[in-house]
Amino acid sequence: MAERTRRPAWIGTRGRVLLLAVLAAFWALWFLGIGPSDLVPNAGGLRIAKRFFAAAFHPAFFTENGDALLPILLTAVWRTVAFATAAVSVAFVAGIVLAFFGSTAWWSPERAGGETSARGPWLFRARVTTYVTVRAVTAFLRSIHELFWAVIFLAAFGLNNLTAVIAITIPFTGTFAKVFSEIIDETPRDSAEALLDAGATPLAAFAFGLVPRALPDVLAYTMYRFECGMRSSAVLGFFGYDTLGLYIRQSFDETQYAEVWSSLYALLMLVLVFEAASRVVRRRLVA
Amino acid sequence: MSADIDTLWRERPRSRVLRVAVLLAVVLVACAWLFGGFEGADLLSHRRLANLERFLHEIVPQSLRGHFELSGLFSWAWHRLTERGFVAAMRTFAISLCAIVLAAAIAGPLAVNAARNLATAEPFLPVPGTPARERVWSVIATATGLFLVLLRAIPEYVWAFLLLAILGPTSWPAILALAIHNSGILGKLGAETIEDIDEGPLRALRSLGAGRASLAVFAVFPMVLSRFLLFFFYRWESCVREATVLGMLGGSSLGWWITDARFRFRYDEMLFLILLGGVIVLVGDFVSFITRGLVRRAS
Repeated sequence: MAERTRRPAWIGTRGRVLLLAVLAAFWALWFLGIGPSDLVPNAGGLRIAKRFFAAAFHPAFFTENGDALLPILLTAVWRTVAFATAAVSVAFVAGIVLAFFGSTAWWSPERAGGETSARGPWLFRARVTTYVTVRAVTAFLRSIHELFWAVIFLAAFGLNNLTAVIAITIPFTGTFAKVFSEIIDETPRDSAEALLDAGATPLAAFAFGLVPRALPDVLAYTMYRFECGMRSSAVLGFFGYDTLGLYIRQSFDETQYAEVWSSLYALLMLVLVFEAASRVVRRRLVA
Repeated sequence: MSADIDTLWRERPRSRVLRVAVLLAVVLVACAWLFGGFEGADLLSHRRLANLERFLHEIVPQSLRGHFELSGLFSWAWHRLTERGFVAAMRTFAISLCAIVLAAAIAGPLAVNAARNLATAEPFLPVPGTPARERVWSVIATATGLFLVLLRAIPEYVWAFLLLAILGPTSWPAILALAIHNSGILGKLGAETIEDIDEGPLRALRSLGAGRASLAVFAVFPMVLSRFLLFFFYRWESCVREATVLGMLGGSSLGWWITDARFRFRYDEMLFLILLGGVIVLVGDFVSFITRGLVRRAS
């Protein structure tokens, strides 16, 4: 198509996308049947809000019965961390394995032409099939929320801590696999290409040319995911598992708002401390 | 030759922080599995397995137990969809849309004040401002950054739970919960994008007399819009995913009907709606993927 000089448009593609999103949001408000007036709480809600936010300034250190809250919350924090750690440790390994088969880098399709003629098309076809299957499995794993898995396991087995870990592990495996394979496929291939040109097998080029360069991004993402895992494991407490969410829900239902804030501050500290620590590590990784 | 490799190996970059971090990670994983209170044997106990067997029986649609046929399954599924599935899916998408637009509206101004190159006394000028004003702006940037961390540290589900008690059972608790958490994330990503910006045009505008607000609205905004839209849709995907769940707290999204089925012990309906949740997430991912492609090509 010939280049023509045109007057600059008032609104480009990006502007149109933005405008459309805002219009869609207004349509959504109409569809849900809610407006700004629904944001004003009624008298009961207002009373709860006042008492709840007033309690923010004096979190409880003891329960109603006079028991010290700290050991209870520390146990809950440990459970929260333990569930997340156990889940992420498995999901990380499983995600890497799936990401390997779900990325194109290790069998490099652009080079597969020569290989096809040498070793027969069945190998190429098998690899494409693996790739497509792994991608589909990954999408399925990712699509169902960890809380839904928890609900399924609660119905199937009843309350058992291991099911909480499995519930987090399944979608996290899918997410790890998706993101890791994207990282691998986006990593510059020049060192791997150089190794291939020097006669390395595709697998060796993958392991020594690609993986070391993708590793910092992979580890940084894993730390971010671990933070998400701690949030998920805290929330699983709302379903009866012995993590921070259990105490948030119980204290709130008993209108012990000061205790709710103790749990909230514990969760906040956990996330803030980890985020500060991971920032230090991430700076070393990228540099 | 091998001596060179040895030298290279000895002089490879090493970081004590990273070594300690890896060691800590390994210890943490070991401790978590050893002392996390996991009972694998209990999970495979007779009682649990009997429970599992009953569950596997009950996830088969009630009308099809004993005489299973595919056409019956399809008509059963279609009935579930028209009964509540489609409405639940639409409401879930609607909630996620409101939430992400609100989150972006909150995140924009926050990102501007958290970005270290714009939130200074004299942005994009080679001369620093007076020490007092520089200090004020450094406090503003740090405080905004901290506020963003606080917004995203508390999970959506907890926000929704608290807001539901205050606002009552409309869709607002879910929308606000998603908006609060995601504005923290979008604000952080937006601030990082602004910090990576090409400063040339901004210096030129500033030297022509443009103020902070006009720089932000007329120069920074169009420059970061493409990246920001990509983040916007990435986070929207996550909003859709979380929105399916938040209904479990009280009636608004898909999760509500899942809780409903769960408490009626209709595990066949529950599983069907959970799978529908998966489909909703995948549809959201697909729409986002298409739109991100559109934005990427336009920029």
